[in-house]
Amino acid sequence: MKNALYRVLKAGSPVLVAALLAVGHAVAQQADGEFARAWDGHPDLNGIWQAIGTAHWDIQDHPASAGPRELGAIGAVPPGQGVVVGNEIPYQPWALERKQRNFENRHTDDPEIKCYMPGVPRATYLPYPFQIIQGTGKIMIVYGFADANRTIHMDKTNPEPAPIDSWMGRSHGRWDGDTLVVEAAGFNGQAWFDRAGNFASDSLRVIERYTPLTPDALMYEATIEDPNVFTRPWTMRMPLYRRLEEHAQVLEFKCVEFSEGILYDHLRRQPAG
Amino acid sequence: MRVNIAVRVLTGAATLVALSSGAATAASIEYVQIAVPSPIEAVRWYTEHMECEPSETQPDSADCHGVEIVFGVAPTMGGTQGTGVNHIGFSFPDLEAKMRELEAVGVGGAGVRLQRFEDGSTFRDVPGLFKLGFIFDPWGTRIELVEDPDYPGFHQIHLSSADPSATLAWYRDVLGGVPARLRGQLDGLLFDDIWLLVSQHEQGVPAPTEGRTLDHLGFVVEDMDTVATDMREKQVMFEQAPAVPGNGRSGASRAFVAGPDNVRVAVVETGWGGIVPVQAAMTEYPEESAPYTVPRTPWDAPDLQGIWTGDAAHGIPLERPVDAAEDAALTPEEAAARRERGTLRSIWGYEREWRDTTLGFAKDDPSTQVAMIVDPPDGRLPPLTPEGEAQIAAAQNVQPGLPAGPEDLSSWVRCITRGLPEMMLPRVYNNGLQIVQSPGFVAVQKEMIHETRVIPTDGRPHLGPNLTQWLGDSRGWWEGDTLVVEVRNFNGKYSYRGSGENMTLIERYTRTGPDTLRYEFTVDDPTIWTAPWTGMFTFGRDDDQYELVEYACHEGNYGMTNILSGARAEEREQAAQQ
Repeated sequence: MKNALYRVLKAGSPVLVAALLAVGHAVAQQADGEFARAWDGHPDLNGIWQAIGTAHWDIQDHPASAGPRELGAIGAVPPGQGVVVGNEIPYQPWALERKQRNFENRHTDDPEIKCYMPGVPRATYLPYPFQIIQGTGKIMIVYGFADANRTIHMDKTNPEPAPIDSWMGRSHGRWDGDTLVVEAAGFNGQAWFDRAGNFASDSLRVIERYTPLTPDALMYEATIEDPNVFTRPWTMRMPLYRRLEEHAQVLEFKCVEFSEGILYDHLRRQPAG
Repeated sequence: MRVNIAVRVLTGAATLVALSSGAATAASIEYVQIAVPSPIEAVRWYTEHMECEPSETQPDSADCHGVEIVFGVAPTMGGTQGTGVNHIGFSFPDLEAKMRELEAVGVGGAGVRLQRFEDGSTFRDVPGLFKLGFIFDPWGTRIELVEDPDYPGFHQIHLSSADPSATLAWYRDVLGGVPARLRGQLDGLLFDDIWLLVSQHEQGVPAPTEGRTLDHLGFVVEDMDTVATDMREKQVMFEQAPAVPGNGRSGASRAFVAGPDNVRVAVVETGWGGIVPVQAAMTEYPEESAPYTVPRTPWDAPDLQGIWTGDAAHGIPLERPVDAAEDAALTPEEAAARRERGTLRSIWGYEREWRDTTLGFAKDDPSTQVAMIVDPPDGRLPPLTPEGEAQIAAAQNVQPGLPAGPEDLSSWVRCITRGLPEMMLPRVYNNGLQIVQSPGFVAVQKEMIHETRVIPTDGRPHLGPNLTQWLGDSRGWWEGDTLVVEVRNFNGKYSYRGSGENMTLIERYTRTGPDTLRYEFTVDDPTIWTAPWTGMFTFGRDDDQYELVEYACHEGNYGMTNILSGARAEEREQAAQQ
């Protein structure tokens, strides 16, 4: 299975990958060993990674649809196969209504439009690169969007409660074979999962699994638990790809200044007359 | 830190006979103890604004119109609000002039907070009484200012009680206050020429004074033994039996008793000279005298990882003050005073206790460094170029007006960035610095505005010149144990003291001891300055208890909404007046 998956990814056959993923098994814990290892023998996840796909638009299957009229084809939503395993998000009835309302109001309510921190797991599959800095004791992830970042505490054997609720939560990590497992909680419940209005509450708990597949690809899984919003835990899964450009760098995208129009134009001094 | 305001009656030693008082002695009001972080700053404030004089004998006290105010040091749990001591009072000959003067001081720095009346006025004339108004000192002590020519200077201690008449009776019977009516209107007691007044506490029982800024009241008696016996007979509860404190400045004894309304009361013997304040450990981070071996990462780079804070360096000015041209370092007392001034200047609008906790880590350990600039050696910025002069003159000529939109406000207020080198410099809160390293990279994260710089140390070239950023483009390398970082490609939208897009910043990070990280920054902008200049300060390590919290600045930027809506409201008002 793992070798097959590896070959499929190497061969780059999306259809087969999707077919394999649909089986729903957790990705192999012991990968092939062709990827680099860090000083301590664990996989070396250092580098700049990015998801490629349309999960940032909608984590579920979605056909192409129109965007703001004045942006023409640039603003249209491209079609995409979902990253939710089984495609279904088990919302409680009230939450499904809320999701639909979010969708209707997405052009004003989506935190991404306001340049708010994206939360977890959304930060992972926004269409921007992120860098993993695998230190001794801590792993830092620095995302391209909104200066968002996380510190994954690898040096705390007992997870500690978050000191305060936050957009990016508090993350504890451990190795399960060659898989980095991160448990994140302590969220403020304000982040969305995508531009389609999928969401969770402040009781969200995310279990992420980063498994190396090749030197330049990881499989990423995020299991979502939120008893206040969903009827059961559910999982999304997608590969992450290494940015291979020479001297690739996560550039500064301080989007605050680009959100000020949406946030503050109603408070701006209007021209006389 | 805690300051005792000791009010010692210095006027005539006449001991008033307590009329209709069952007290064994007529005590005098000796002192009021108030907690502040820096006695020097408190003495300065009371000298400047309450017309007291620094004590000739004790560095931590002030004489206020025949009353001595002594200041000690301890952490506080807030101001006088809600406690059994509502306020203290001073009388001035011309209250209107005094209030005008205090209003002009403003709330900035170690300023004066006026408690205005509902109509916005700073004082009012109460028929049959006198003119009166209220202010707060910077440490949260409420002060009433009155115009009462009969009792000039330190005027009153005003208690707040669930049962005012019982409180008055207690101070009459136990301490020998003389019943009197202020202006024939207010029942109170006179202790020599100082009024003890009591108001009805608004709701429930007053909060204890102990631990608040005004910690306790001190009364002086001639014969402690007699008074103590008398108090015991009257069922007064002693919190501390009469004794000569080990750190007393004289051989006089002191006792603490529980006064009514949760007011802590000290009784001291004649000759009481206060106590020697406990010296806080105010040591500069020791730079190791023996050569320090910097630990290395498993991949053999100097290991800078951990959580550091700039808290101890908060308050160090960039430039060497002219009056400290020759000083090698501040004394610990001067450093504490400077820290306090910096704290007050930075965030006056916040609650005192919050201000103290934000710098809690190094509050007792402020840096004694005189100035950040170490080059030029005089500690001053080098001369400006003609272009630099023109730019700064132009910036000064900009008329401050109401902001039309966010772009009229600073990038800090907008939650975009504090810019470089400013983002590295200590401010009054959220000074955390977290460093995580991987082979070829050093990630430097500053807590405020949650900005992270990932600095490559793998020898790669800078970004192309057209790719500019707010924080420029950082490239690092190791020189011995020092991480050297060159930053350029600034977008010029942020300026540090005039610097612009042509700035090159060189940073040097060096561990100088297990708990010290020296940070040097050289600013080179030939457009603005005739020479590069270098600043330096030291981060302290705080891995054990510090964790960077998410500084969701933009997400919670209510300040921006409030500033802009306030500006629009002001414009509407101006338009309506025209």
